[in-house]
Amino acid sequence: MTAVIAASNLSKWYGNVLGLNDVTLDIASGITGLLGPNGAGKSTFMKLLTGQMKPNIGQVTVHGRKAWNNPADFRNIGFCPENDVFYEEMTGFEFVTGLLRFYGFAASDIRERAAKVLDIVDLTKDKDRLIRGYSRGMRQRIKFAQAIAHDPEIVILDEPLSGLDPLGKRKIIKLIKEFKSQGRTVLVSSHVLPEIEALTSEIVLIHQGKILAQGDIPFVRELIESHPHMISVRSSDPRALAARFIGDLSIQKMSFAPDGRTFVVETHKRDDFFGRLTGAVLEGGIEVEEISSPDDNLQAVFEYLVGK
Amino acid sequence: MATVREKGYAHWDGTLAERRYPWWPITRTGIRLAFRKKAFKFVFAGAFMPSFIALVGLYISERLEDFKALVRSNEALINVNPKYFKTILTSDGLLFLIILVLSFAGAGLISDDLKHNSLQLYFSRPLSKRDYLLGKMSVIFFFVLILTAVPGLLLVIFKMIFAGSFKFFLDYPWLPLSILGYSALLTVFFAFYVLLLSASTKNTRYATILVFATYIFSNVLFGILMGIFHKPAMALFSISANLQQAGAFLYGQKLPFAFPAVWSFVVLAGICALSVFVLGRKTRSVEVIK
Amino acid sequence: MTTKRAGREVFGFFFSLGRKTGKTRVFALLGLVPIILAVVVRVVLHGRSGDVAAVFTEILMVFFLQFYIVILALFYGTSVVAEEIEGRTLSYLITRPIPKPAIVLGKYAAYSLLMFLMVAVSLSVSFFIMNAGRLAEARLYLTFLSYLGVLGLGILAYTAFFTFLGTILKKAILVGLVFGFGWENVIQYFPGSTQRFSVVHYLKSLLPYRPMGGGGSAIALLLFRLEPTSPPLAILMLAVIAGVFLALACWVFRTKEYLYEE
Repeated sequence: MTAVIAASNLSKWYGNVLGLNDVTLDIASGITGLLGPNGAGKSTFMKLLTGQMKPNIGQVTVHGRKAWNNPADFRNIGFCPENDVFYEEMTGFEFVTGLLRFYGFAASDIRERAAKVLDIVDLTKDKDRLIRGYSRGMRQRIKFAQAIAHDPEIVILDEPLSGLDPLGKRKIIKLIKEFKSQGRTVLVSSHVLPEIEALTSEIVLIHQGKILAQGDIPFVRELIESHPHMISVRSSDPRALAARFIGDLSIQKMSFAPDGRTFVVETHKRDDFFGRLTGAVLEGGIEVEEISSPDDNLQAVFEYLVGK
Repeated sequence: MATVREKGYAHWDGTLAERRYPWWPITRTGIRLAFRKKAFKFVFAGAFMPSFIALVGLYISERLEDFKALVRSNEALINVNPKYFKTILTSDGLLFLIILVLSFAGAGLISDDLKHNSLQLYFSRPLSKRDYLLGKMSVIFFFVLILTAVPGLLLVIFKMIFAGSFKFFLDYPWLPLSILGYSALLTVFFAFYVLLLSASTKNTRYATILVFATYIFSNVLFGILMGIFHKPAMALFSISANLQQAGAFLYGQKLPFAFPAVWSFVVLAGICALSVFVLGRKTRSVEVIK
Repeated sequence: MTTKRAGREVFGFFFSLGRKTGKTRVFALLGLVPIILAVVVRVVLHGRSGDVAAVFTEILMVFFLQFYIVILALFYGTSVVAEEIEGRTLSYLITRPIPKPAIVLGKYAAYSLLMFLMVAVSLSVSFFIMNAGRLAEARLYLTFLSYLGVLGLGILAYTAFFTFLGTILKKAILVGLVFGFGWENVIQYFPGSTQRFSVVHYLKSLLPYRPMGGGGSAIALLLFRLEPTSPPLAILMLAVIAGVFLALACWVFRTKEYLYEE
């Protein structure tokens, strides 16, 4: 798939502090989650990508064109910054329409787009109130609104769900998912793992300015060969079942859950284990109620990679 | 038998004594933050220029023979007496430099706290409003005293050193008190003045302009009113004129303007009172949103 | 979008925003000072129109020329870039499909117009109060337009310079204060060509100084030690100052990276 956003040996220093460390990355259309703790370099990457900063080394391009000093490209890019800042003396409507003017739309088109996007983010009722008087959630929503009001093909969202209540988050998540079905490219950053998981399975993990991994969650999980997989088995006789694996050298660790019905193994060879488990169940006649992988999720992947 | 304690973390059993100067960390931080700005160090150093020039004048006055050729027509300039000190320490140039230093160091003292909603953080500690304001004011006290009292007293000492005797001090024993009194006046006034303007806005850049512009505007207004009415009492509209009038009184010199010095003290006190009122309203832990 | 069109849109955005801010109201209120003074002067010097005209020319113009337009230009000029960085709203502008110079030019134009309106209202009301007895004289209106023109050119030149300062310096306000109230106040009294290194010299060279009705022989405070430049050259120099500093500001803004203070 052709990369919409491409970074090549991208590095950025803030004085002596390295913000991004030799990042090479391709982002295709669809929703990509940029995941990392605070200070990992997510916002730095987004600012480089949106031409707000200049790379020290390397380059970042959007559709093959450099991001720095290329304002024409912003016709197709929408950016929602992380900072909670606005032109406070404006109303929500004025804010959105004011920024829409910079795209060259006709006045009637501007009003229509503004009304539509304010309706999407549920701010129609409060559109004529000063932003100064908005709640945290309203401010986040108006920020999101200005990013999408001009129907951009590429949407860059820096922590778009911060400050929103659960209902608000659900609405925005639903909207972002609609972008994917419309063929747009969305890059969403967050340090809250469940938010990213709810949005997409395509992730880029970033930590201390370096890209740790890129791909869908199971793919990334497979990459982490150094960390054993955790498999949880709930059965009528967990200890009897577990006893059949004591001699198995591929099992790193075995433990029993407090419920008395589950045992958890850690193994490097997941597929082998499943094969032997099937055999053990048949031979022992032990009833298995549930098999799951507790660490086949983003939290576990992230913790392994970040080394927590 | 001695008590056997458990290994591991144990709470301190002592009594927590309250620190005596809760305002001191605020002052210390304010001074430190001012010196972090590179340009400020340059401006602060430059603010000592009038004192340095005065020191040179002191030296010349003691070495008159050596400089006779230079100072032939300027003997009045290097006649070192209380008037000399009053001229240097109440000069427009020094006041301008003090205002410049305080624009750097003082304009953001309260406006930054208002902008970042830090007052809630301050007042959720065992810190009273009085301590908070005293801490902020002490930053200004520090800078103004360093630019006025310290050079003033040092000039007296240097005069005696250059003269090689205590004669100067014996002739004018009250001079150090005048220097301290005038410095105290400047210190207290500028503290209230700068904090009044800093508390008026959340924007430090705007506060900086206010500190400077209000001072300059008062002088411009004085000039205009003087041009219209030709009455010396118009000097009451000028901050620097009032300070100079009060300074001349404290140095026991002829007043620059033909009205009682007490009027200047009243005007300066009025500005301080306005500052107390505004600071009382603005420095609240709870923000009132209308 | 072309720079011209984008500049127009930026102008509209910031003109309407600038009108609403509290700071604009405060600066507009400052413009009431000459109006109040004009009323007071009319009461004090009632009937003596020569004296009134001289007072306006020699005294109130000091307020406008050496304080009001300088303080306005300093605040609004440095705000062109500084307020976007301090307020962290720069992201909203530079992630739009508009050339960066358009942001500088559009904001500069918006704030210049805002300042001009404040100054024009203040000047008009105070001038015509001061000259209320001579409204039938055609020359009066020419004089008024000359004053307005001088202040307008002053706004353009000062604002361009302070805009440039705002693009290159973090603490532009302080350098601006030293320039506006230090350098400009001192250098203008230097002899020969030295005084030509100030904006106020060219502005004063354009003043239509003639005390109306022959009022008094007092040396005009404004024109003290002035060795005037010819009006056409003064206008050219002010235009060059404005043009050069605006061009520099646009160039710096386009090439420089602005980082928010964390």
